[in-house]
Amino acid sequence: MEKEFLKVIHDYQKIIYKICRVYRDSREDQEDLFQEIVYQLWKSYPNFKRESKVSSWIYRIALNTAIAIYRKSKILIDYYQAFPEHIHPSDEKTISENEERLFWALRKLNDSEKAVISLYLEEFNYQEIAEITGLSESNVGVRLNRIKNKLKEILK
Amino acid sequence: MELNDLKSGWQNAGGAFKSEANLQRMIKVTNHPSLKRIRTKLIVETIGLVLFLFVYYDWFDGDKKPFYANLVLVVGLLLYIFNDVIGYISIIRPIMESNLKLSIQNYLIRIKRLSVFSLVISFLYSISIIIFFTSVINFTKEKGLILVGIIVVLFQLIFLSFRIWNKWIENLKQQVKDFNLDEEK
Repeated sequence: MEKEFLKVIHDYQKIIYKICRVYRDSREDQEDLFQEIVYQLWKSYPNFKRESKVSSWIYRIALNTAIAIYRKSKILIDYYQAFPEHIHPSDEKTISENEERLFWALRKLNDSEKAVISLYLEEFNYQEIAEITGLSESNVGVRLNRIKNKLKEILK
Repeated sequence: MELNDLKSGWQNAGGAFKSEANLQRMIKVTNHPSLKRIRTKLIVETIGLVLFLFVYYDWFDGDKKPFYANLVLVVGLLLYIFNDVIGYISIIRPIMESNLKLSIQNYLIRIKRLSVFSLVISFLYSISIIIFFTSVINFTKEKGLILVGIIVVLFQLIFLSFRIWNKWIENLKQQVKDFNLDEEK
C-alpha cells in the first residue's frame, strides 16, 4: 500500500505544491505544510475508496490541512506591497515571474476564496467544487464571480 | 494578466520536485515537522516531571508535608503529562470529513474541547504546585513574595497558552463563518 501511495503522491504532487504556495508565504512554512499534507494524506489513504477522482481526494485533504492546522505567528512584511514595481512584471517577463504574480494575487484572497478559486483553476466543474467544499452549486457560482472580480482588481 | 492566463499559469505551476524516497520520509511520524517539536517537548517534560516525582520527596521535604499535599502534587504532575499525551494523539488524528465545510466545523469543535481540557489541566497543575509548597509553612514576608511571584509566573503561562489557543480558535471560527457566508440567506 505504501508503494502505491507514494506513486500516487509523486504523480499528483503539483497539487500539493500549489496549495502550499497559495496558503503560506514563506518557503519554510510552505515546506512544513507540504510535509503536513503528505502525512495527512497517508493517514487518510486507507479510507480512500476511489469513488472520487484522486485529484478531488488530494484537494479535499490538502485544503483541509492548509486551512485548519495551527499557523505560527509571523512578522508581516509584505515585500510585494512595499516594492510594487518589482513584482508586477509586464507580460513579456519570464514564466516564473508570472507564476510568482499568480500566487501573489491568490494569496490576497481569504482562505475560503482560495479554496474555491484553486478548484476552479484546476478545471473542476461547479458540482465537483460544491462536493469538495460543502457549498451549494449556486453559492459556488456566486462566489466565483465575486472572486474573479476581486482578482481583476488585484491584478489591475 | 487575464483570468485565462491565471488558469494556464495554475495548471503549469509546480513539478515533480520531490522524489518518492523524499515523500517516503514525510509519511514517517518521526519526520513530521510539528509532531517532532511536540514529541521533543513531550519527552523532555515527561522526563523532567518523572525525575521531579522521584526527588521531590527528599529535596522538597515531601515527608514533612501532609498526605493530601503529596497526593495533589503527584496527581497534578500526572495530569500535566496526560494533557501532553492527549494533545499529541489529537494532532496525529487525520482531518477528514466528506467535505471542507464540515471538516472545519468539526475540527473547530475538536480544538475547542482540547483547549478547554488543556487550560483546565494547566490550572489544576498550577494549583497543585501552589498547594504543595504552601502546605505546612510559616509564612514570612519573603516567602509570601516568592509565592506571589510563583503565582504570577504560573498564571502568565496559562494566559499565554490561552492566547495561543484563542488565536487558533478565532481563525477556525472565521473559516466556518466564511464557508457559511451566503449559504444561510
